[in-house]
Amino acid sequence: MLGFILQRLWQALIVVIAMSALVFCGVYAVGNPIDVLISPDATQDIRAAVIAQYGLDQPLWHQYLSFVGRILQGDFGRSFVYNMPVSELILSRLPATLELTLAAVLFASLVGIPIGMYAGYKPHSPISRAIMAISILGFSVPTFWFGLMLIMVFAVQCGCMPAGGRGETVSLFGVDFSFLTGDGLAHLVLPALNLALFKFSLMIRLARAGTRELMLSDTVKFARAAGLSEFTVLSRHVLRLISIPLVTVFGLELGSTLAFAVVTETIFSWPGLGKLIIDSITSLDRPVMVAYLMFVALLFIVINLLVDLAYAALDPRLRKGRA
Amino acid sequence: MTDIVTRSAAPLLEVTDLRTWFPSGRGEVKAVDGVSFSIAPGEVLGLVGESGSGKSITGFSIIGLIDDPGRIVEGSIKLEGRELVGLPSHDLRAIRGKTISMVFQDPMMTLNPVLSIGTQIKLALEAHETIDAADARQRAITAVAQVRIAEPERKVDFFPHQFSGGMRQRVAIAIALLHRPKLIICDEPTTALDVSIQAEILAEMKELVSELGTALIWISHDLAIVSSIADRVAVMKSGNIVEIGPALGVLTRPQHEYTRALLDALPSRAKPGQLLLRGSGIADAPPPPRKSATANLPALGSPYLVIDNAVKRFEKPAGLFRNLAIKSGLSQPLTVVQAVAGVSLTVRRGEVLGLVGESGSGKSTLGRMAAGIIVPTSGTIRLNGQPVMSTGRAPKKITTRVQTIFQDPFSSLNGRMRIGDIITEGPLAHRLVNRAEAPDYVRQWLAAVGLDPTFANRFPHQFSGGQRQRIAIARALAMQPDVIVCDEPVASLDVSIQAQIINLLIRLRAELDLSLLFISHDLSVVRHLCDRVAIMYQGLIVEEGLAAAIYDNPQHDYTARLLAAVPVLPQGTETTAAE
Repeated sequence: MLGFILQRLWQALIVVIAMSALVFCGVYAVGNPIDVLISPDATQDIRAAVIAQYGLDQPLWHQYLSFVGRILQGDFGRSFVYNMPVSELILSRLPATLELTLAAVLFASLVGIPIGMYAGYKPHSPISRAIMAISILGFSVPTFWFGLMLIMVFAVQCGCMPAGGRGETVSLFGVDFSFLTGDGLAHLVLPALNLALFKFSLMIRLARAGTRELMLSDTVKFARAAGLSEFTVLSRHVLRLISIPLVTVFGLELGSTLAFAVVTETIFSWPGLGKLIIDSITSLDRPVMVAYLMFVALLFIVINLLVDLAYAALDPRLRKGRA
Repeated sequence: MTDIVTRSAAPLLEVTDLRTWFPSGRGEVKAVDGVSFSIAPGEVLGLVGESGSGKSITGFSIIGLIDDPGRIVEGSIKLEGRELVGLPSHDLRAIRGKTISMVFQDPMMTLNPVLSIGTQIKLALEAHETIDAADARQRAITAVAQVRIAEPERKVDFFPHQFSGGMRQRVAIAIALLHRPKLIICDEPTTALDVSIQAEILAEMKELVSELGTALIWISHDLAIVSSIADRVAVMKSGNIVEIGPALGVLTRPQHEYTRALLDALPSRAKPGQLLLRGSGIADAPPPPRKSATANLPALGSPYLVIDNAVKRFEKPAGLFRNLAIKSGLSQPLTVVQAVAGVSLTVRRGEVLGLVGESGSGKSTLGRMAAGIIVPTSGTIRLNGQPVMSTGRAPKKITTRVQTIFQDPFSSLNGRMRIGDIITEGPLAHRLVNRAEAPDYVRQWLAAVGLDPTFANRFPHQFSGGQRQRIAIARALAMQPDVIVCDEPVASLDVSIQAQIINLLIRLRAELDLSLLFISHDLSVVRHLCDRVAIMYQGLIVEEGLAAAIYDNPQHDYTARLLAAVPVLPQGTETTAAE
C-alpha cells in the first residue's frame, strides 16, 4: 500500500509540473496584462517600469522559471485586480464553493443512489419509469435555465426562498459557513439543488444500471436462495458491488463541480471560486488564473488518490495486489 | 449410496404437473412443461438433461426464484404436504435457506467478491434467526470446518478470491447446509471444477447428506456424475421428464429413446477413433481444394510440430520505484508465474496428440505458444523445421500453417462480422483466395463443416453454440493449415453437440491429413480422439505415450490419480466411481 501511495505521489508530481508549464504558456498566449494594468494614457516610461516590475520583459522560459521559483516558496503572486495575495484570495472563496459543492454532491448521492437502486430493482413499475423520466430531464435541461426557473418559481412567485447570495454566515475555525444558520441554509438550498441536478441524474442512471445487472447475477440468486430478505440483498450485497463505479463517478463529479460550478454560482450570485475565475478571466487577472488552474489540477490529483484508496477499501481483490 | 432409501416414507417433496413458462416476443417459452416427480426424505435424485431442457428452471421453480417475467402457470409443489405454488413471497423466503437451499454451478459467481466468507455466512444465518456477532462467528467457523476447510478460524476472514474454485464451492455448500435444510438443490455444482476436485466434492457431499439425512436434487448434464451420486435419475428433454427410475436401471437399461441417444453420444461408451452414434446426421461435403503447396511436407507419422524445451514466465510489470529497486539490487521482479516450465513435445504429421491437465497446469499456455499466439520466454517451437514465431523485440507469428480453435465459440467469433467475412478474413489477407472466389470458398467450407452454405450472410448470434463451434472450425481450416491447436473445443457443449463436433474433427482430420494438438481436461474425449496423450501437471509433462497405454497402465502418480477421479458410468454392474 505504501508503495502504491508513493507511486501515485510521484505521478502527481509529474502531472503538477506538466500542468504548471501548460498553464503558464496557455495564459501567456491569452493576452497582455499590461493593457489592463496601465491606463492607456500612461507614458512610455511608466509602461516600461511596470513591465519590468512584473518581469514581463524577460524571455518566456525565464518568466516560467521565476514563476516556479516563487510557487516553491508558496508565493502565487498578487492579484492585479484585488491587489492581494492570490493564495489568500482563493482560500477566502474556497469555503463557499466547498459548501455548495458538497451539499450538491451529497444530495445527488444520498438521494440519487437509493432511488436509482429502486428503479433498477423494479424496472417496470410506474414509479421507476417516473424516476427515469426525471433523470432524462436532469440530463437534458440546461443548468442555467433550471436555475432561472428555480429563482422564478421559489424566489419571485412564491417568495419562500432567497434568490441569491450566501445569507447569514457563522465563523467556524476562522472560516465562514452558511449551512450553520437557518438563513444561510435557506440560501444554500436552491443553488445546491441546481448544481445537483445533473449529478443526481447521473447517480440514478449508474445505480439503476448496476442494480439491474446484479439482480440477475448468481450472487443475488444465491443470497436469495439462502433466504436473505430483499432489503438485505440490496443493502449488503448489491450496494457494495455497485459502489465501485459509483465512487469513481462521485470523485470525478466532486472535482469538476468544485472547479467548475461557474454557471450556478453566477446565477445565484454565490461568492465562490467559479465567480472568481470568470471575473479574473474577463479582467485578464493572470496570477489568479494561473493559481486557480494549478489548484484545480492539484484538486483532481488528490481526489483521484482518495478514489483509488476507496477502491482498495471497497474491493478486497485490489488490496492484495498492492499490499 | 450405501443406505437404502425407504420408499414407503411420505414424500418430502412432491411436484405435480409443474409448468413454468416465460412469455417472450414469440409467445410463451415453455421452459418446464408438465414435470412430475417426488423425493423421499434423504433421497438423492439426479436430474439430467442438456442445456435448455428445463432442469435448472425446475430447480428454481421449487425454491421459488423464477426471474421475471417467468412464472409457474400450473401445477403444484408440495413440501411435506404444504403447497408452495402461490405462497406469498414472505413465506417462501422463510423456507429458502431454512428448509430448501441451493448450490449453484459457478462458485466464482455465487459468492460476493467484496464480502468476507464470515460476513456472508453471518448474513445467511441472520436471514432465519437472531444471532449476535460472536455466536455468528463461532457458527461460521463450525460451518467452514464441516466442509473440510483447514484452519477454519483463519479462513472465515478470507475473501472469496483467496480461495481456489473447489474451496469456494465448499463455502457455498457450507452456506447451503447452515440451517440443516431437508432438501438441497445442486445445480451443476461440480461442472466448473477440475476432475480431482470434483471427485472430492462428490465424495464429501455423499457423506454429508447421508450423515445429515438431507435429500438432494442433483442437476447435471453429466450422466457419469449423476450415476455416482443419485439413487434415482430423471432424464429431462424440452421441459419434460422422459424417463425416471432407479439410477442403475435408467443408465444401464434405458427405456426411452432420448436416454439411449444421450448415452450413445458419450465418447466413453464408444470405441476410440470411431464416429459416435447419433452424433453425425450431417450431410458430408468435401472441403475445397488446398492452394498451399503440400509437396515438401514430411511423410505422415514423422515429427512435424516440434516444441523444444519451451518455457513461459509471466512477470508483473514493475513500477518506477520497483524498477529502480530491482536495478540497484534491492528488490526482485514481482510475482512471477511460471506457466510452462520447460516442455518438449512433438506432434507428428497426421496424428492427434492429446494434452491433458487440470486448470492452471499450463496446457493452454503451451497450446498458445504452439499456435504462435504468444512467444515462449525460452525454448523453440518449430513447424517442419521452421520457427513458428519470429524473434526480436516484437515477435510475430510467421506461419499460417498452425491455426487455433478456442473453447468458447461465443467470444471467439466477432459478433459484428458476418460469418462469410469471419471465414475469409484470414485467407484474403494471406492471398489464399481472391475476392471473386471468396463467396464460393465460404460456401464450400460451410458445407464441409456441416452447415447450410447460405448461412454466410448471417451473424454469429443467430447460431447455437454447436453451430458456432463449426464456424470456428471452418475459420481455422479456411487458412489451409496442417496443424490445428484445439483448446478445449467441446468443453462448453452439450453431449450430443459434443459428439457431432468430435465426429466432424475425426472426419476432417482424415480427409485433410491434419495434425491436431488437442487440449482438454476431459479424459474420455481425449481417449476417444487422440492417438497419443501427454499429461501436464504444474507446467511440466509428467507422462507421454500412446493413449491406450496411458489409460490402461498409467506410470505417473498424478496420471493414476487423475484417471481414478473420473466418474464412470455403470457398465451393467455396480456404480464404480472412485475416490
